[in-house]
Amino acid sequence: MGSKIGFIVNPIAGMGGRVGLKGTDGVVERAIKLGAKPVAPRKAEEMLREFISHYGGGDKIDWYTCKGKMGEDELKKIGVKEIEIVYQPSTENTTSDDTKKACKRFLKRDVDLILFCGGDGTARDIFSIVGKRIPILGIPSGVKMHSGVFGINVRATAKILHDFINQGLTIGDVEIMDLDEKLYRQGKWRIKLFGVAKGIIEPTYVQVGKTSFESVSEDEIREELSEHILDEMEQNKDCLFLMGSGGTIDYIAKKIGLENTLLGIDAVYNKKTIGKDLNEEKILQLLDKYKKTKIVLSPIGAQGFILGRGNLQLSAKVIRKIGIDNIIVVATPSKLAATPFIRVDTGDPDLDRIFAEKEFIMVVIGYRLRRIVRTQTNKF
Amino acid sequence: MKRDPTGFLKKEYKELVEKDLDWKLRVLETGSTPHAVVDGKEVIMLCSNNYLNLSNHPKLIQGAIEATKKYGAGSGSVRAIAGTMKLHVEVEKRLAKFKRREAALVYQTGFAANAGIIPQLAGKGDIIISDELNHGSIIDGVRLTKADRAIYKHRDMGELENILRDADKKYNRILIVTDGVFSMDGDIAPMDEIVKLAAEYGAMTYVDDAHGEGVIGEDGRGIGSHFGIEGKIDVEMGTFSKAYGVVGGLIAGSQDLINFAYNKSRTWLLSGSHPPAVAGAQLAAIEVLETEPQHVKKLWDNTKYFKKELESMGFDIGESETPITPVIVGESSKAKELSNRLFDEGVFALPIVYPMVARDKARIRTMMNAGLTREDLDFALEKFEKLGRQLNII
Ligand SMILES: Cc1ncc(COP(=O)(O)O)c(C=O)c1O
Repeated sequence: MGSKIGFIVNPIAGMGGRVGLKGTDGVVERAIKLGAKPVAPRKAEEMLREFISHYGGGDKIDWYTCKGKMGEDELKKIGVKEIEIVYQPSTENTTSDDTKKACKRFLKRDVDLILFCGGDGTARDIFSIVGKRIPILGIPSGVKMHSGVFGINVRATAKILHDFINQGLTIGDVEIMDLDEKLYRQGKWRIKLFGVAKGIIEPTYVQVGKTSFESVSEDEIREELSEHILDEMEQNKDCLFLMGSGGTIDYIAKKIGLENTLLGIDAVYNKKTIGKDLNEEKILQLLDKYKKTKIVLSPIGAQGFILGRGNLQLSAKVIRKIGIDNIIVVATPSKLAATPFIRVDTGDPDLDRIFAEKEFIMVVIGYRLRRIVRTQTNKF
Repeated sequence: MKRDPTGFLKKEYKELVEKDLDWKLRVLETGSTPHAVVDGKEVIMLCSNNYLNLSNHPKLIQGAIEATKKYGAGSGSVRAIAGTMKLHVEVEKRLAKFKRREAALVYQTGFAANAGIIPQLAGKGDIIISDELNHGSIIDGVRLTKADRAIYKHRDMGELENILRDADKKYNRILIVTDGVFSMDGDIAPMDEIVKLAAEYGAMTYVDDAHGEGVIGEDGRGIGSHFGIEGKIDVEMGTFSKAYGVVGGLIAGSQDLINFAYNKSRTWLLSGSHPPAVAGAQLAAIEVLETEPQHVKKLWDNTKYFKKELESMGFDIGESETPITPVIVGESSKAKELSNRLFDEGVFALPIVYPMVARDKARIRTMMNAGLTREDLDFALEKFEKLGRQLNII
């Protein structure tokens, strides 16, 4: 039996970009009026072709997809014959609702992976239905790709799919991020962290002999990170700890026995949670009260941001007050493999520059184990 | 709960076999000779570490036999109690002289040296900085400490300096540890730069010269001599198990280092000392290196010829600067197939595949031997060329 892949294309993803709109959610008609052309179908086809031509691997896959433009067309174009259609959109102009309905069918069929072509909005729709039950892999095509589910490009995505099918890769946590579109159209750029999904990641190997390696699970490494942070807390008893958002920090906090907000910032003192899901104001109040503060952050999403994506409570004012030397960055090696830079976008150019001028940051990747990673501001 | 106390043994072994990650041991029916009989087949040996073919040198064999006749088969004790023979002390003196250092200390193996001394050099409040591709025995030594650890990208002196700059304010002792010659790619750590940086920040330097000793530097004196920085590396660690052709780990450096090391290394203190045969052969190996420069020269002549020919055939042989020559072929399956077919044709060289190297950089690793003749090399090269073409590598 082959791998069961649920394949879905959001035919209108990426259309806004051509006409200067970020994302297409709710602005499709405007985009089409402005002359937007579909991007996703082409990208999806390109990726499938790349996959078939490099790896030939059609026979190892049982394809499940949607009628017509939502996946069937692309698979047929590259010559896949056996396709099971699980969903048919009711109208010509598909909406996010169609994506969600298709995902419900994928859940029923127990697919091993959902391969989709779209942007952050599509990822969010899929995630809203499947949660952490099925891993998600995105073929990049949308305008917004802050989520950690996307391959870097079409080619890399084909390779990830191949390696996944051949058991070369493992499943790990990835963040689902998206622009807050309503605020955006009011002129405000806000990237929100919507949740933590399952994605495909590079396994981490540790050397066990000169020529033998053992792959260690993400959880084992996150356990080491937890131990590291616990040590920090025990050695800095008079220090307030702010715990950032995302799956890695959530794991660490829970392992230490703390309550934690997955998508928010919590405060810990003496190994006890003293504030949950804090906003900027509350954080500033705490900073007034406590002399010493350390903040534990992990890169969120695809581009390695530790600040400015999904944690706007940590404003420039907050960070200046804490001091950038009191930021502890943690990440599993798999995560770092996908985000070779640590980036910040604090909304304060001077602070961003201080980060950039640091050139590098020491990232905790295991118990008392650090790796040096280059820093970059949001100009990329 | 009723548990199966040993069930995991079979289960985990089976998992390894299923993933094709278990070791399939090849058995030598001859010595580790340039032409060896392996699993019943005569092959040209391109994967031993016996670079200078000293394991078969008459003087080493003689040294082992004579020491055994004189002092017996075993040493009777750990070094610290009653297992230090005059012969052991003599090896250390000769070794220090050869390495042009104040003093030297012999451990049971190179692994025991790394696992024994590294944890004593740094502890709580200190930091150990490692190259990301360091050998597993270094990694294990580092794991035994309470020191913080930081890793820099392979041979990246920019990263090393940045880590040093960061560590300077935060830690007491700083220890930089690196392989001298890296055994996967055959490239050499920029030890001259490391020593310079270390001096700037008051860091200690430690080099594992397992694949450099007997190979690089004047008459095979190792990496210190190779870079003209003799005496400047704080700890020169090495092994008698490779070019020296015997077995045993070693460190060389100041008398202070040696005094400290043998009083503190648990692997040294709590494990029996070498049998006289080993010490006798070690002594002979050092003497051969001092008096017969032709072996090192032959090793390099062979290496240069082999690399030049492989390259002219169109093989990608990486960036090696030493007798370790990788032949990079791409996908793991291809490397495995090439290795198997080479073996069938009488050439023994092992594949190195992911995750030891990047997924698309799987390779055959060859290690040159001074005992191979030009005809042997031509034979091996012909097979490489033939199979390389058949497998569309060249
Ligand atoms: C770089 C390196 N260090 C240390 C060792 C261990 O040396 P020994 O075989 O003496 O234990 C080896 C060899 O396996 C090695 O390649």
